[in-house]
This record gives sequence, structure tokens and C-alpha cells, in this order.
Amino acid sequence: MAKMTRPEIRALSKIVDELDYYEILRLQPGAGSTEIRQAYHATSRHFHPDARRHLDDSLIEECTRISKRVTEAYCVLRDPRRRQAYDAKLSRGDGLRIQIAEARAVHQKETVQIRQGRTAQGRDLFRKATEAMAEENWPAAFQNLQLALTFESDNAFFRDQLDSLRDAHPSEI
Amino acid sequence: MANLAVGIDLGTSYSCVSVLEQGSPRVLPNAYGERTTASVVFFKPDGQIEVGNHAKANIIHHPVHTVSSAKRLIGRFFFSEEVKKARAIYAYDIREAPNHGVRIGIRDEQFSLPEISAMVIREVKQVAEAQLGQPVTQAVITVPAYFNDNQRQATKDAGKIAGVEVLRILNEPTAAALAYGFGRGINQRVAVYDFGGGTFDISILEIGKDVFEVLATCGDTFLGGDDLDDRVLDLLADEFVARHGINPRNDPHAFEKLKAAAEETKKGLSVEDEFRVEITDVMKDKSGESLALDRTITRVEFASLVQDLVQRTFKVCDEALQQSDLTTRDLDGVILVGGPTRLSVIRQAVTDYFQQEPKADVDPDEVVAMGAAIHAASLIGQDAAADSILLDVTPLDLRIGVVGGFAEPVIESNTPVPIEQSRRFTPAQDNQESVSIRVYQGDSRVAEENELLGQFEFSGFTKGRRSEVEIEVAFEINADGIVEVTASDPNTGEQASTSITLSSGLSDGDLDNILRRDRTARVAAADVTPSQSSPRHETRSEKKSPEPSVDTTEAFVESDAIDLGDLDLDDEDLEIDEEKQGAWDRDENEESGIALFDASVRDLSAPDESSEEL
Repeated sequence: MAKMTRPEIRALSKIVDELDYYEILRLQPGAGSTEIRQAYHATSRHFHPDARRHLDDSLIEECTRISKRVTEAYCVLRDPRRRQAYDAKLSRGDGLRIQIAEARAVHQKETVQIRQGRTAQGRDLFRKATEAMAEENWPAAFQNLQLALTFESDNAFFRDQLDSLRDAHPSEI
Repeated sequence: MANLAVGIDLGTSYSCVSVLEQGSPRVLPNAYGERTTASVVFFKPDGQIEVGNHAKANIIHHPVHTVSSAKRLIGRFFFSEEVKKARAIYAYDIREAPNHGVRIGIRDEQFSLPEISAMVIREVKQVAEAQLGQPVTQAVITVPAYFNDNQRQATKDAGKIAGVEVLRILNEPTAAALAYGFGRGINQRVAVYDFGGGTFDISILEIGKDVFEVLATCGDTFLGGDDLDDRVLDLLADEFVARHGINPRNDPHAFEKLKAAAEETKKGLSVEDEFRVEITDVMKDKSGESLALDRTITRVEFASLVQDLVQRTFKVCDEALQQSDLTTRDLDGVILVGGPTRLSVIRQAVTDYFQQEPKADVDPDEVVAMGAAIHAASLIGQDAAADSILLDVTPLDLRIGVVGGFAEPVIESNTPVPIEQSRRFTPAQDNQESVSIRVYQGDSRVAEENELLGQFEFSGFTKGRRSEVEIEVAFEINADGIVEVTASDPNTGEQASTSITLSSGLSDGDLDNILRRDRTARVAAADVTPSQSSPRHETRSEKKSPEPSVDTTEAFVESDAIDLGDLDLDDEDLEIDEEKQGAWDRDENEESGIALFDASVRDLSAPDESSEEL
């Protein structure tokens, strides 16, 4: 990235609210973690307040404004869980920013839901399957997991459990 | 004369000052040729002060008038554990000031901690001025990475009191990494293991050609070299009791002698295999007979004394590696910082833990000041070579107080800075006059278990039914790691009159008074050129900066009890909260029925300050 001129910095500061995190870091939507880090370093060289100390106060303020947004973008995109929540938000057309703390909370909640079941029936059946596994009653565990998956066919955690059960006790199921 | 800015490592035990010259950092020795200066202030009977290694020698004879390890107390509340501990260890008078502040009582005067630290800063500033032959007015001052906002603010105040423009508050491990990587054109991942006099920090950094990125930092502000000394001190004191049947801990002079011996033992054992403590006159018995102590401590014995403390640091290292998604195998190097890392017990344990020898070409006592000097030069554009960017993180969760005595994270630890996050909230009740916004740092969901940074009232929003009222609170952490919080009404755009820089323990008035009186300049030592520059009278920003008042907080928490019936935060309620919180983002018109604030209704016209539920 070539050095930005003062008018360019001012212009960017004005539109930074209209850019998504990928645009702020000048990344393609599919960018990998190394690219994300490199982009963070490159943009920070432009806008980090330390890099711009020689500018006049109003321009430093603009740079700081951009820099804070660069940090936010990096913070979300470098963390797979946050990034997932953000990508979902973007695809819903639901705004260009996400709370850093919230992004992780949303994801954690989703994880818990997946692990315990999203539906009442799924949860109930998965609980029964877990109990059966504790009692080493493999056929019952298998049956309950299969039933749980009929309610939550996209629950990858349930499916993994079922697969490993099948691998571990092929003869008994 | 070229403008020069220095780097100051303001340590718990020793301080060090450095400047970048012709592209390489040079440590500036004092008039005695010493490269570090003891962070000790001796108050002479004539009102003069003496700072440094000579002042330190006075601890034994004048323990009550000699202040050491002020860094352990700076930016702390009087009720904090660290202050309690210090009151038990140090002979000087540690007093409570209004708003739970801390003051040091010397004869009939009281000094704030920033003033004491300012005396140390002024001393090393004068060392630098004597060496450079020109006034020094700008500096980068380092702090432990794990310092909270209160401690950072107080350190910045100390610089100001000492007549120094603080260009940046820089984290010590980051400074060390900068000194290590500066000008080498390397691309490495390193761990900086910083065992200081009073704190332990670990930072994991990625060093690039011109970018230094902190991946994670963790720390323990209750663990340092002083704790190692204390173990030896206990051993010596017990030995003395066993031999003479008198407890030397009750005699301040004897206690200081043993403390000095303990520190010597520690230092001795970093070069020798054993160290003999031989004091002919620890104290006198009732008949005036001198009581002696003679004890030899071996490295092995010392190692067993401190093993658990050393192991505690690795728990912190585990956490830092986990936070940065790395294992010890991913690291290209380990940098040791702090005098205690010269000890073989620590070096060996570090080598075992990281499965590699620490870098040998780094001086653990000087590397932080050198890094600070490089950054100082970079910030004032003094040296074209020094233009690396430091991308640092905030060490602690930043939280906001919510209903029920809880604190919700707004910015999590190890988030890069500078950063800003805004949250929208609704008041607890209809027609509420004001909300109380409390800001904390720490890792606990229970508000009280965190450090209170400050609190303020915001009333500049449109009053109405609570479902129609919105308050936006913006949290900002700047590159110094210093926190600023602003409240506003997003609908009217009314920017709150309540933009605050959070507490530093000193109010604007306090700071003004201190700058006016300028007691820090009474340096008696004749060996340094008196500073040309008197501290500039600077008023801080116009922003309101209230003292943290913990009493008020407690009052709030109590008044919450009234609300608790319908605001019992169990897990299920929390889920609902999250959903509703999400709803604000999705649709601003949607009714967001939750009240995150434990904002009590206040009749602002009432003369009584205490809050009242209506």
C-alpha cells in the first residue's frame, strides 16, 4: 500500500462507517489468517497514531479513528468464532459492525446449543443417549442418537457422536 | 542542540534511563557510574530528599523516612491486598487518604504515590541531563504490561509532576522485545518472561521487520523479586529467633538489616553457589549485648525456598500461550527481563518450561529502558531507523457494572489497542433522571472482584418510558492502555457532558496543588546537575475526572437488592438478555425490554447525595 495523502486519509475517515471489516483491511472475503495479520500490519503502518505523530492534530484524530476501526476489524476476523458470527451478520444484511464481546458470546451460545441440542426433543433424546452410554448400553445410545438427529439433522456434534459410537461398537449396534 | 527524548524504566526496585544515539540505545549511568538507580527516596530531617542507591543505604538507619517499592502502591486503593501487604512489610507510614487513596506520611507531611515516583523520575531525568548536557523534557515511561488503568494514569501523573512530557506509557515486555528485535530485520515469535521486583509479566510477540505485534500478555501483579527476598528474610528471621529467642521482626532496624541481607543473598546466589550472611549486630538484647546472625544459604536451599513462586509464573505462561493459540514449540526465542531472572533457579526452570535456552545477549536490567529509548526516539522522529510500529494489547477485561452487582465485559483482555466499543443501554425504570455508569477492569463477573476504574452519573438523555430511552456508552482504550468512557444520547446526538478520563487517584485539584508546591524538586544530592526545567504547570483536560468513590458503589449495590426480585440473573435469564441485547443491533425500534444498568432513580434536585429508589 502506497503512502496515503492527507485528503485520502480525510476521505477514508469519513466513509469508514460504511465499510465492512474486509474492506477496512482491504481483504477478500475468503482471506486466510496470514493474510489477515499482514493486512493488519500494513494498515496499522498507515493509521496507528504512533505512525502519524508528525501530522497535525486534526489529521491524527482522523487516523486514530480509522486505527480503532482497523483494530476492531482485525480482532473479529482473526478469531474464527467471531468471524463466523460476523460473516453470518453480514450475509443477513444486518449491519457492518459487531460487538467484539458479543460476537464471542453469540458463538458460545450456539456451541452450547449444538452440544446439548437446539430443540426440546433433540435435547431430551441426546440426554437419554448420554445416559445409555454411561450404562454402556450401546444399542439404546445408538437409537436415541439416531432419533435426536431426526429432529436436528444438521447437528454436527450429534452426528460425530453417532459416528464414533458406530466405530467403537460395530458389532453391538 | 537536537531534541532528545529518553526511555525510563521506572522499576519497583531499580530504575534505568536510556537514550538512542546514532541508531543504538545507550544506558545513561549516574555520577557514580551506576547504570541503574535504586527507586528509593530518603527524606532527610532538614526537609531535603535524596534518591537512588545512596538513599537505599539509609533504609537500615532511617527505615521510617525511606520509601522503597512505591511502584507496588501506585494507583492502588487503600483497602487493596497489595497495600495491606505493604503496610506489614515496610516501616514507612502508609496512610489512608480521602476516597480510599494512599498517602505516605513523612514527619508532618503527606505525599501521594505519584509524587514519590516523580522524585525517582526526576532523579533519572537529571542523570540523563548530566550525561547528555542538555535538558530532557520528553520521555517514554514503561509499566508492567498487567498494570491497570489506575496504575497507568498514576504513572503518567508522576511523569507530569517530575516535569516530563510522557510521550507514551509503554508495556515493559513490549519495550524489551523492541530492544531485542530493533534493527535486526528478523521475523520471530518470542516470549518475554519479565520477572520484576514486584510484578511478573509474560508477553508473546511476533516481531517483524518493522512491526512488533503483541499476541497476548498475561501477568501477576502480586509476584516479584521482593517475594523471593521475603522467603529468605523469613528463613533468616526464624533462624535468629531460634538462636536468640527474640523476634527481629518487631524491631524496624533489625528487620531492615535482615531484609537487606536477604536481597544480598538473592543477588549473591545468582553468581555464587552459596552465600554467607554474617551480621555481627542485628539488634541489642535488653542488657545491650549485640546479637549476631551467621547463616550460609546454598543455591539448592534457596531453590527449594522459592520453587512454588517460580512455578506460579508458568501457570501465567500457560495462559498467555493459550491466549495466543501457540505452544512453546512455536516460539523462536525467550527473552528474560528483570534482575531476578539472573538466578539459576529461574533460568533453569524457564529453560525447562520453554524447552530452549533464553537469549543470552539481552541484559535483563537494561533492556526495558533501551526499548523505551528506541520508542521515544521513534515518537519524536529523532531517528529515521527507529520507526517500528508497536501493536500492543490491553491486559485486562474492561467491564461495565450491570444490575445485580455484576460486571459485563465490553472489551476483553488481549484485545489490540487502540480500540473503541460502544454499547446501547436502557435505564432500569420509566422516567429515570440519571444512570450511574461504573467501569471496571478485571476478569470476574462479580463487579466487586474487579478494579473499579471510576464511575459517573449521566443525565443528559431524553427522559421517558424506559423502552423509549437509549443511552450509548463508548469505551475507548488508547495506545497507552488508558481508558476513556463517554456517554451520549444516540437519538438527540446530545454528546454527554460526562466524557471522563477515569480516576487516577489524584483529582485535577490535587495535581494542580502538587505541581504548585513542587516538593519533588528538593533533591539534596550534590552529585547531579540541578534540573533546568521546573515542572510546567499543566492542567489536565477539561474533562470531569471524579475520584473513585467506593462507598457510593456499595450504596448502589445495596439499593439493587430492592430490584433483585425480578432481576435474578441465572443462566436462563442471561440467555434472554443476550437475545434482547442482540435485538438492539437488529432493530433499533424494537422494544428492548431489559435494563442493564442498576441505575437507581435519582431526584437530582435533592440536596442529599445518596440515591433513592422512587
